[in-house]
Amino acid sequence: MYQIDSKKELAPDIKLLEVHAEQIARKAKPGHFVILRVDEKGERIPITLAGCDVNKGTISIAFHEVGKTTMKLGSLNRGDYIMNVVGPLGNAAKIDKYGHVLCVGGGVMVAPLHFQAAALRDVGNELTTVIGARTKEQVILREEMKKISSELFIVTDDGSEGQNNLDFLKDLLKTRKIDYAVAIGPIVLMNEVAEFTRPYKIKTMVNLNPIMVDGTGMCGACRVTVGGETKFTCTDGPEFDGHSVDFEELMVRRRMYVPKEKIAVLFYKTFGECL
Amino acid sequence: MNKSKEEPRIGVFVCRCGSNIGGVVDVTKVVEYAKTQPNVVHAEENFYTCSSEGLSKIKEAIVKHNLNRVVVASCTPRTHEPLFRVTCEEAGLNKYLFEMANIREHCSWAHMHEPEKATESAKEIVRMAIAKARFLEPLKEPEIEITPSGLIIGGGVSGLTAALSLSEQGFQVYVVEKEAEAGGLLRKLHTLFPSGQDASDFIKSIVELVKGRRNITLLTSTVVKEVNGYLGNFEITALQNNQREVRFKVGTIIVATGAVSLEPAGLYGYGQFDKVMTQLEFEQLLNIGLPENLEKVVMIQCAGAREERGITYCSRICCNVALKNALYIKGSNSNTDVYIVYRDLEAYGRGYVDYYQKAQEQGVKFIRYTQERPPNVMKESDGKLKVEIFSPIIGKGIDIKCDLVVLSTPLIQHQAGRDLSPILKVALGTDGFFLEAHPKLRPAEFASEGILLCGTAHGPKDATESMAQALAAASKASIPMAKGTVKTEAVKAVVDKELCVGCGACVAICPYNAIEWLSFGQPRVIEAACMGCGLCAAECPMGAMQLRHFKDNQIVPMVNSLFELERNAVLKKEPSIVCFACRWCAYAAADTAGVMRLQYPCSVRLILVPCSGRVDAIHILTAFARGADGVMVAGCLKDGCHYIDGNIKAERRVNAMKEALDVMGIEGERVEMFFLSAGMPDKFVESVINFTERINKLPKLRSAREREESAPSVSNRF
Repeated sequence: MYQIDSKKELAPDIKLLEVHAEQIARKAKPGHFVILRVDEKGERIPITLAGCDVNKGTISIAFHEVGKTTMKLGSLNRGDYIMNVVGPLGNAAKIDKYGHVLCVGGGVMVAPLHFQAAALRDVGNELTTVIGARTKEQVILREEMKKISSELFIVTDDGSEGQNNLDFLKDLLKTRKIDYAVAIGPIVLMNEVAEFTRPYKIKTMVNLNPIMVDGTGMCGACRVTVGGETKFTCTDGPEFDGHSVDFEELMVRRRMYVPKEKIAVLFYKTFGECL
Repeated sequence: MNKSKEEPRIGVFVCRCGSNIGGVVDVTKVVEYAKTQPNVVHAEENFYTCSSEGLSKIKEAIVKHNLNRVVVASCTPRTHEPLFRVTCEEAGLNKYLFEMANIREHCSWAHMHEPEKATESAKEIVRMAIAKARFLEPLKEPEIEITPSGLIIGGGVSGLTAALSLSEQGFQVYVVEKEAEAGGLLRKLHTLFPSGQDASDFIKSIVELVKGRRNITLLTSTVVKEVNGYLGNFEITALQNNQREVRFKVGTIIVATGAVSLEPAGLYGYGQFDKVMTQLEFEQLLNIGLPENLEKVVMIQCAGAREERGITYCSRICCNVALKNALYIKGSNSNTDVYIVYRDLEAYGRGYVDYYQKAQEQGVKFIRYTQERPPNVMKESDGKLKVEIFSPIIGKGIDIKCDLVVLSTPLIQHQAGRDLSPILKVALGTDGFFLEAHPKLRPAEFASEGILLCGTAHGPKDATESMAQALAAASKASIPMAKGTVKTEAVKAVVDKELCVGCGACVAICPYNAIEWLSFGQPRVIEAACMGCGLCAAECPMGAMQLRHFKDNQIVPMVNSLFELERNAVLKKEPSIVCFACRWCAYAAADTAGVMRLQYPCSVRLILVPCSGRVDAIHILTAFARGADGVMVAGCLKDGCHYIDGNIKAERRVNAMKEALDVMGIEGERVEMFFLSAGMPDKFVESVINFTERINKLPKLRSAREREESAPSVSNRF
């Protein structure tokens, strides 16, 4: 059982939990993820780490309440327990001194991006950061990102804050010498960023989020095609070279369980119980 | 004034339809019942609501009672809704604030011998319509500008005929032809039947006409690479000579990509003996000149067609082609023996039987074979061919030694056609040819607005038929272009940003690419491209995507209203079944069943949906939670969906729901998917009867009331 040390609402439906998990905290690095199960009957869900504190023995996870499990997780409060947390899983993101790094994050994934960006900054990189969401209420960690970046751009799909699309990146890439890029967020976003940086041959790492089951390389549910080869996101990733990822396939595979997920959400909302 | 925000003031008009409804249903009782419903401020009965008198009564009542919703309980909305909508508009009421209850086709005509049950059923149907009416919203029909130019893909006889027609009407036309020369298949043919006219002369004259037209741009050696946009505003990118990109904008697109003749490799010695050729190759040979000293020619029909698997269809034209070429041989040299070896001779069409008789008179010999024992072609030592035929008529084999074997092979779809299908996002049928929106009602159109179809791209046809369809497609295309603007349907998808979580499920399921996925996950509906099927709304896990006029909060109240009251004793023995019926097929089939007076149990209440793919898990779940004994989801035949494959998506959802119900301890077989067409009233009735029986055989579910009273756990709810 893993106790929740603190709970913070980053935006409506987006929550940040600090979970007491000493052993995971000791080894956790940016890019790692955990798989947790809220209760005995719960589904196992992978969540990318948004931070850790070795001294306190805690890890941070941010999530958007979009499905049955995240809704349930969001209903827990400080002092409540999560049934189990496995981790850290996956490979840590490559943190090195590259020079000028472009960091792009969307939605709830801005939280793990912050974890990674801070590490990049700590080893001496200069950061140009773009964060965004569908609408301004869902843009999270503005101040935290501002602190570690030499410039920060905000983008919202509906234009309620900052730019209303990523096209400005085309000009930005013309005027700045970017040495490395990181994109975490919706598939469309990661795909777009990779396409923008491709002509400049800027190494662009993306953090993938396919359907996942065990998270330890046994089941193959999270397979993705990278550079024509099949890779397991859990054991080979989750960070991959964005210029080699087959995003189209990733999108198709992620939708496999949409009708079932919908029914599960409906039941949870209607009866407060799982099937 | 926003009428939707006001408290609903509903007027209900119940039609007697002479004795059609009034002879079975107690209309007066239904009117009295309607008056007891919340928000109903006026209810009356009419002898014929659709008569001018009836219509003026609606208009008067709208003014007198300050109605902001109108319900007419009469016949099917598929025929009469437009009339009543106009009437509402004339009285100043937005036409989308009108709702119809079908108590004729689905009630009085379906339950003619059970007047009491019919009356109670009519009450339920009216109650459901009133429930939806409360939540109706006024809608605007957006107008879109139409670019007055057309793209024709394919420069064969169909494409060029369509191009000339559009050009004559004054529209700019682009013809894109993949070959270096326009003219298509006709360029290769020898003569046309039944006129015997020279095919290449004929097509040359059409090509010359096209080239002479200033408003036609003929792009040869060109293929369409990309198509974006929607009716009135298509952006086309084509590639000329494999290098130069050409871009232009058109209002409509006509697909006239034609077909190719099958090359029957391995069949009847084709590819093995050089004297075995297809009819097409034979015609090319005739263009050079009929070989001299031909003693015997054998033509084998259905070569590679009407197979068990693969090409199963009849290519229609080959029998006439064989007759034409046989007559030509006979005409050139009456001493040459011509044999037509056939399975079934289909000299369909005007004047073609005369053609067949003429061939018989001139001594062409017809020998039948069967699919089980097809002819066998081999080469003799003297270089001649021998055809062994088993005649089922005389029960014996016949051997013919001949100079030439000509195979009548079917027309088939080509790779370029298959490549075009995903570019235009239009469907191909199981036979590989392009699929029209409806074989009778929209034979020259695709389901996507502004994209039309003609010629052999649509299936085997002769030149006459292709040209007729080309003219049909051109005139259909010209309608919006002549108008300049078109009012589009108001029934479009709309997203609630507050509820949306940006999962992209709607983007993925949309058959028309009408939903854009923005960088951070926000979906955006391109209204002009949205066809209003509602697949996205049913797919959305959050209920954020909705279809106007068929929103969850309009459909769910209909379901709720059916179960909000205890069933009248008369109907109590009938199981309560909700049928979500696609307006194109199941709803129409139920209408026809009514017209044919087919009788079925009063168990089923229909809820009209634009496509079975609109049916959401929440609709089905609500029905069961409220007390339904069964739910039918009825969509079009498997390859007949008006929205490409909405019915298949619906089936997938129904199957997921079955599993969920099973887990909850109520039988998954209480929900079922049905596939039928508008022309299958008997299948609709059979489905209702069988499904009602199936439900009756199952142990009775506890009533909704009993469920309410039990502990609030999922399994106890049902």
